Amino acid sequence: MAQLTPAEIEVAKKFDLTSKIIPFLDRHLIYPLIENLDLTYDEKTIKELSYNLLRDTYMNKFINDLNPDKEISQDVLTKQKEIEAKSEVLEAETKETLNLLSKKEVQEQLKSDKNHNRRYLESQHGITEDKIHALYEYGQIQYNKGDYVMASDLLANFRILSTNNELNVSSTWGRLACEILLLEWNNALEELSKLRELIDSRTSFNDPLLQLYNRTWVIHWSLFPYFKTANGLETLCDLFFSSSYLSTIQASCPWVLRYLVVAVISNNSKKLKDLVRVTAQESYQYADPFTNLIKALYLDFDFAQASQHLNDCEVILKTDFFLNNEDENLPLISKKFITNAKKLIIQVYVKCYGRISLEALSETLNLTKQELKDLIASLDLKNATLDDEKLIINHTSTKIYQQVSDKVKSLGYKSNQLLENFAK
Amino acid sequence: MSRFFASGYSDSDLSSSDEELLSTSEEELINSSADEQEAEQDNDESSDSVFATEEESDDSSDDDYGARARGPSYFLKSSFAKNNYSDEDSESEGEGKKVVKSSKDKLLDEMRSLVDKIEIRRDVKEWIGLLAEFDKLNKLLTKARQQNLGIPRLYISMIAELDSTISEIGNEEIKALKADSSRAFNTTKQRTRRFVKEHAAAIEQYRANPETFEKELDEQSEENTPKPSKALIDELITSLRTIQETRGKKNVDRDEQIATLEELVQDAKGNDFHSILVYLMLIPLRFESSSLVQSMPIDQWTKAKNEIIALLKILEKVRNEYVVTELATATDELGQEPEADKNGVKHILGSVTALVERLDDELTKSLQSTDPHATEYVDRLKDQSTVYQLLLANQLYLESIIEPAAYSQKEGEQLARVVLKRLENLYYKPTKLIIISEKVGWSKLTNKQSLIYPKFEESDDELEYCNGLINHLSSLLYKQTNSIFRKKAMLCQIYYYSFNDQYYKARDMFLMSHLQSTIHTSDIPLQVLFNRALVQLGLCAFRAGLLTESQQILQEICTSQKQKELLGQGSNQRQQPASQIDKQRLVPFHMHINLELLDCVYLTASLLLEIPQIIQQSSGRKVSNKLQATKSFRRTLDYYNRQVFIGPPESTKDYIMRAASSLQAGKWEQAINFISSINIWSLFNNATGIKEMLYEKFQTEGLRSYIFANIFFYEKLSVKQLASLFKLPEAKVLAVVSKMIYNDEISASLDQFNQSIDLSKDYEFSKLHELALSLADRCQQLAERNERLASGGHQSQSSNVKDQKKIYSK
Repeated sequence: MAQLTPAEIEVAKKFDLTSKIIPFLDRHLIYPLIENLDLTYDEKTIKELSYNLLRDTYMNKFINDLNPDKEISQDVLTKQKEIEAKSEVLEAETKETLNLLSKKEVQEQLKSDKNHNRRYLESQHGITEDKIHALYEYGQIQYNKGDYVMASDLLANFRILSTNNELNVSSTWGRLACEILLLEWNNALEELSKLRELIDSRTSFNDPLLQLYNRTWVIHWSLFPYFKTANGLETLCDLFFSSSYLSTIQASCPWVLRYLVVAVISNNSKKLKDLVRVTAQESYQYADPFTNLIKALYLDFDFAQASQHLNDCEVILKTDFFLNNEDENLPLISKKFITNAKKLIIQVYVKCYGRISLEALSETLNLTKQELKDLIASLDLKNATLDDEKLIINHTSTKIYQQVSDKVKSLGYKSNQLLENFAK
Repeated sequence: MSRFFASGYSDSDLSSSDEELLSTSEEELINSSADEQEAEQDNDESSDSVFATEEESDDSSDDDYGARARGPSYFLKSSFAKNNYSDEDSESEGEGKKVVKSSKDKLLDEMRSLVDKIEIRRDVKEWIGLLAEFDKLNKLLTKARQQNLGIPRLYISMIAELDSTISEIGNEEIKALKADSSRAFNTTKQRTRRFVKEHAAAIEQYRANPETFEKELDEQSEENTPKPSKALIDELITSLRTIQETRGKKNVDRDEQIATLEELVQDAKGNDFHSILVYLMLIPLRFESSSLVQSMPIDQWTKAKNEIIALLKILEKVRNEYVVTELATATDELGQEPEADKNGVKHILGSVTALVERLDDELTKSLQSTDPHATEYVDRLKDQSTVYQLLLANQLYLESIIEPAAYSQKEGEQLARVVLKRLENLYYKPTKLIIISEKVGWSKLTNKQSLIYPKFEESDDELEYCNGLINHLSSLLYKQTNSIFRKKAMLCQIYYYSFNDQYYKARDMFLMSHLQSTIHTSDIPLQVLFNRALVQLGLCAFRAGLLTESQQILQEICTSQKQKELLGQGSNQRQQPASQIDKQRLVPFHMHINLELLDCVYLTASLLLEIPQIIQQSSGRKVSNKLQATKSFRRTLDYYNRQVFIGPPESTKDYIMRAASSLQAGKWEQAINFISSINIWSLFNNATGIKEMLYEKFQTEGLRSYIFANIFFYEKLSVKQLASLFKLPEAKVLAVVSKMIYNDEISASLDQFNQSIDLSKDYEFSKLHELALSLADRCQQLAERNERLASGGHQSQSSNVKDQKKIYSK
């Protein structure tokens, strides 16, 4: 990817959300984010950051590579050995259970009733509570060691067997993290919906604060899969605009509005009105080029400002972890966003102006005339005539007779139908 | 000679007493000696006379007689005075009648006339009448004490004379009295004796030399503290017990008890336990003794304050031996030391918190009954800092005896109460004042630190410190189980944030508190606090330029007839005079929110929101009813517009209404001139900033009004001209117009080539068109309703029918 100019780096640094997002993510999930900072920060800083980040995990080899001191201190080594020993013990413990579960006749016996399964396994195969718990612990260690496939598997098995609600929730979190790190987006989405169900439906959340935290986590974690899957952004809009999640965003993480703006605009979502309302409401506590764009366009009607913000947006689209999507299989979010945003600006412009000079407009929007013409053409405007110099739109409000007739046209038919229904 | 116009003796004496207070003490001395002479004269006369009592009791004749009789002596006196102080006296003679009497003088005058009456009654031994006058005099005396005047020396001299007269009276004479007058005699005797006992020194001095009886005596009489007689502990306990047993009973002389306890304080010195016990009994008794009067006399209050300070000092000293807490168990026997707990600390039942709270309450009460425009009010207000010091000291003491973990338990409640009081002493102040009270509060508590929030250091940022202070105090209160603490803390915090221009914080807290749904069930002081916080929030929104919000927030309170009651700042005059309880609910004057400013803010906000709408409506366009029309504003405006002659504006309201009609007429500059010439804006900290904000608002709203008003008369409007008309940059004009077009407020389009606004004509429709449209709308609604009904909706039949009828009637 092309290098950024110093001015662009300034912008990127100014609106970098990494530090805000980090508190709501897991260590392992943060790593890709930090790795992604390579455009804005130099290599040394990033290496240092990643070392500090991962020092407490069990990915020994990886940590040693990152270690700036070269010398590995004694405590680290002892710690590493301890972990090895512990994981060996747990491996032995869980092996039996796992083998058993993979047997065909056992699988046939298992039903959807968890209590029944437990009784069956305990009486027939001697699998006790402790053994099941070992699955969880081993899964945790594997996750910390960076073996996400194994961890995911272990946690899935644990969840099938365990009746402990709390651990079930955390094992779901664990699986979600694993799937995200494995880039298995569909599985991740599945886990996410399970998690949402648990969090939203659970009546045992006595503490509203805890629920708020959980929702905040869901919001942040969900950014990973949603921005990587085909229809992700639509689901994201639905989720984030649902009232409980919207108020969570407003209360604890207004910066997520950036992703919401991107999702709505690049997806041509119908939620634009809601978006304008929310960004206006939150403008006192959060502002970045994306929200400013919305504000300039729909609240201040300052088109020059809007296109300036759009320029800043382009920089951020390149540097933001979630937005600089380079997956070829997916339509580029950034490109879609920019085009759609320009279209929106033109739409608003056209609604206000009757006679537009193409030259002036292309200047404000930072486009060549041809590009502008193409954009206008793609908008498919009514009553508009376009030539080389200008765009003229005939703003005609519908005649009053037309309006009345439109309104009452269908009434007769509808009423007849109603009567017929009654007759039946 | 104005003197001759004085009708009666007492009156002329009054004026002379005026001079007395104005002039030096030496002159007073002369006057009082003159009084004495008169009294003697009186004595002589009465002993000579053979008149029956009834005849003598006729007041007016007596006065006339007295005036004549004393005529010579008066001249004697004045000529005598002239000899020495001719300058001063002639001066005061000239002004004698013109001098405006201060309340103090008035009080003294009243007392003087009463003393005179008493003397007369005394001379003729008319006990019933005397007692009545005596009672009146005593009432005045308490009043005098409240105003910190001390005991006037004429009172002392009167008592001294009365006492000697009483003791002269023999037993036979008493027996000869009728039943009711003998009762009156006895009461008078008791009261006199008591006073004599209390102020023995002063009386003594008076008796020894009535001529040189000087003013300083007042102060001496206060220091009525005999040397500690080494009473045995048993004795101390016994007297404590007697007092305890009689507490709260009727016919108990509290003053006497207080005097005894004051002595006991001296006796108990050296024994901490006993000192604590005595103080714990003495201070509440002091409060009780003044429970009947409107507010505690200042001398009593100061004494109570000093005693609390002394008590806290002792408690701090003996922190490891004794602890006073509300949760201790009472001992069976007074004076018995409670059992020590595992740390060797003995818990005594009692509450310093309650005492400090009461002290603060008494101060508030006294402020409520003082005239806020007099200097006394300011003097009294100074005591707040001492109370704040005490609150702090008490908080620190409680922090030292209560574990932080127990703050939210029952034990922490006393701490919470102190903290709440502290918060209530702070929340209505701007940050600068908070810092000052903090500094003063901590000044006596060097080398100490609070666990809840540290003291202010010079290096701290003021705003940050205050925010932190308020937050920490409140968060302790949020932990309490009692919801009243939480609500009060929440409201205080909201008030503080709004007052100090942190609108969003305040607003978010307000919304999250959900208090608005339950507040009407709370008790009145809390509702008042709620309203105060709400109003501050509205003012804060206005200062931040958020007019719509401000208008909405303030609407309910500003349009109410009972604004004053709602804010606890007085009551409507039309209603019956407020009862004692109502008065106590009132917020002291220094915490008031300026109602005129409030009105001004509300009306200005409504003006800016309403005027464009009014014009828009009159131009025939359908207006979205987004904003709740403020009827009160429109009504006032109509009223103003209908007036035939409009004089120059006088009140704030006049100014605003004139501004409104100017804006309606399109003269925005005139409007903003009216608004900015309102003086009351200067009450805001940032008055110029607010005026600038208003200037901008008037520009844009003026532009909008202009376009709405002229939409029929133009085909095109030049952006440039609009810009120069409203002194706005062209880009801003374009933005405002774009917004109007985009929101469908006007139907027009912009022309980029000519820089003009093209107003389209085709929407212009007649009344018939409008009705046709709304009929079509209604029909549509009806059809929809019917459909819903047919598909089993829950719309009730009756409402449907009603709707139909409505439509047909149209």
